Amino acid sequence: MVTANKIRELEFATLQIRKKLLKLCTLQSIHIGGDLSIADVMTVLWQYKMKYDPKNIQDEYRDRFILSKGHASAVMSFNQAAIGCFTDDEIYKEYATDGGRFSMHSCNLVNPYVEVSTGSLGHGMPIACGIAAALKLKGNDISRVYTIMGDGEQSEGSIWEAAMNAVHYKLGNLVAIIDFNKLEADGNIFDITGIGNIAEKYNALGWFVKEINGNDVEEIVNALDNLPSPSTYMPIVLVCHTIKGKGVGFMENQAKWHAGKITFEQYELAIKSLDAQFYEKWGEYND
Amino acid sequence: MTRVCLLRDVIGRYMLDLGNLNDKVVVVNADLSGTCRTKKFADIFPERSYNVGIAEQNLVSFAAGLAHEGYLPYAFTMAPFISMRACEQCRSDVAYANLQVRLIATYAGCSGGISGATHWAIEDCAIMQSMPNMVVMEPSDAMQARKMMAATILCDSPIYIRSSVVDVADIYSDEYEFKIDKASYPKAGKDATIICSGVVVQYALRAARLIEEKTGSSIEVIDMHTIKPIDEVAVINAGRKGPVLVAQDHNVVGGLGYSVASKIAEAGIKTRFKILGIPDKFMPMAHAPYLYNQFGYDTHGLVSAMLNLLQ
Repeated sequence: MVTANKIRELEFATLQIRKKLLKLCTLQSIHIGGDLSIADVMTVLWQYKMKYDPKNIQDEYRDRFILSKGHASAVMSFNQAAIGCFTDDEIYKEYATDGGRFSMHSCNLVNPYVEVSTGSLGHGMPIACGIAAALKLKGNDISRVYTIMGDGEQSEGSIWEAAMNAVHYKLGNLVAIIDFNKLEADGNIFDITGIGNIAEKYNALGWFVKEINGNDVEEIVNALDNLPSPSTYMPIVLVCHTIKGKGVGFMENQAKWHAGKITFEQYELAIKSLDAQFYEKWGEYND
Repeated sequence: MTRVCLLRDVIGRYMLDLGNLNDKVVVVNADLSGTCRTKKFADIFPERSYNVGIAEQNLVSFAAGLAHEGYLPYAFTMAPFISMRACEQCRSDVAYANLQVRLIATYAGCSGGISGATHWAIEDCAIMQSMPNMVVMEPSDAMQARKMMAATILCDSPIYIRSSVVDVADIYSDEYEFKIDKASYPKAGKDATIICSGVVVQYALRAARLIEEKTGSSIEVIDMHTIKPIDEVAVINAGRKGPVLVAQDHNVVGGLGYSVASKIAEAGIKTRFKILGIPDKFMPMAHAPYLYNQFGYDTHGLVSAMLNLLQ
């Protein structure tokens, strides 16, 4: 079991990530809603769970991370900055600028820490399957392949091609994560598509399924710490129930905050509220 | 008697050589390992053989994942499915990432004949050549197909290879030297040139000989097996020599014809010029030789088109 101190440290880390996302959001239009919904999972993966050394990014035994919902690039970039890939200031300076390394959809041509360039939905998960199969063929039974998908992304047929394939090739080293925030670009997912019970669908195909609160750091840590070994035979899916815009009152559960830019006043309001939420739970804390 | 063969048989069989030669070679199928003649590879190298089922998008993305980890995946299916159903996967997962994926497509052009237009690939070269990094090739005979496949091992780029499913005659001997992006010259000639690829090369050779017998004009045949990057020098030399007839089992829009035309125009060459191919329309199913005749790039059609240019 992870200690309360560790949880507090990670929650403080998610607070910092959210603040950085909001600061960037004052400068540029970013996919803030989906960045915030997956911020907790992303932070726990990059700052706690994954084996990834920025100084040795070709290490065979690293964990692979593929952002299938490629529009959440900002939250990935700030987490990569947190482990030393680059600095936060470089992100603020270069995001969506000519010649910059950071953009709405991350690009491996300019940013080597991006394992696979993504953006178009329904691609990351099938590529992750190929990578997971390759690791097994190489005899690497240590590394895991993590891929984060959107819930709206589940409408892409290629996801289900890959979902069947992962079971067939017994890709127990694959950890698929669904950011189930119930909102897609055009509105409520249940108004747009018959997604139904997503966990049951993966279960029926033969996946190891776990449903968690994807905005609860302790639940995320426990889920990731207790996954079956990568050398087992069932691909793993974590269905993460999340809130789009999580942590920022005026953005929460609002489809219109799928992407956008905020004013300085909105920023200050959001920061105040985020700090209040954290300190109410943990009291005074200095990292 | 000239030997004839099906290129898919040759390519499928040659995969065994590649599998023996290089242990990074893996084959990915999409439920067409019979059609693509890769069942033997799967028998001999079961651990390096995948079948993703009838899922072409996944075929290509899965292969991209394998290539990302250092393997040399050969993804097999029919040309229309790989170039259109999985078009975005070829472009964003393979070409954008510049991965060494080999997309090996059968049923090029309308060689699929009686299967109908769903199983024809008449846009594939235009689609694939418009993707940065992608090498696009089309073999014309068995020897070239084997040498082309051998060359794929050392090529750093993603590759698309289309091949027909009609009988092709032997053109090249054992001594034939193949190089990606260097055109082959199965027949020399000094008055005019037929630039072609794939199944059309055999017709062009017959046409060139018939014209010589009939008129005494000396016709060169250029086998432009690499459609992209195209051998610009070969095109320009042909354009400077005399009339140029381009023929490919592909829509006249895009493909080899447009590439040759642009090189000739950019070089400022003034010459008589004609593109033969599928005339930008859909047709009901028919046997491939009938279609080639209707579309005018069988031997007969090539002879008439070239005689026109020579007038």
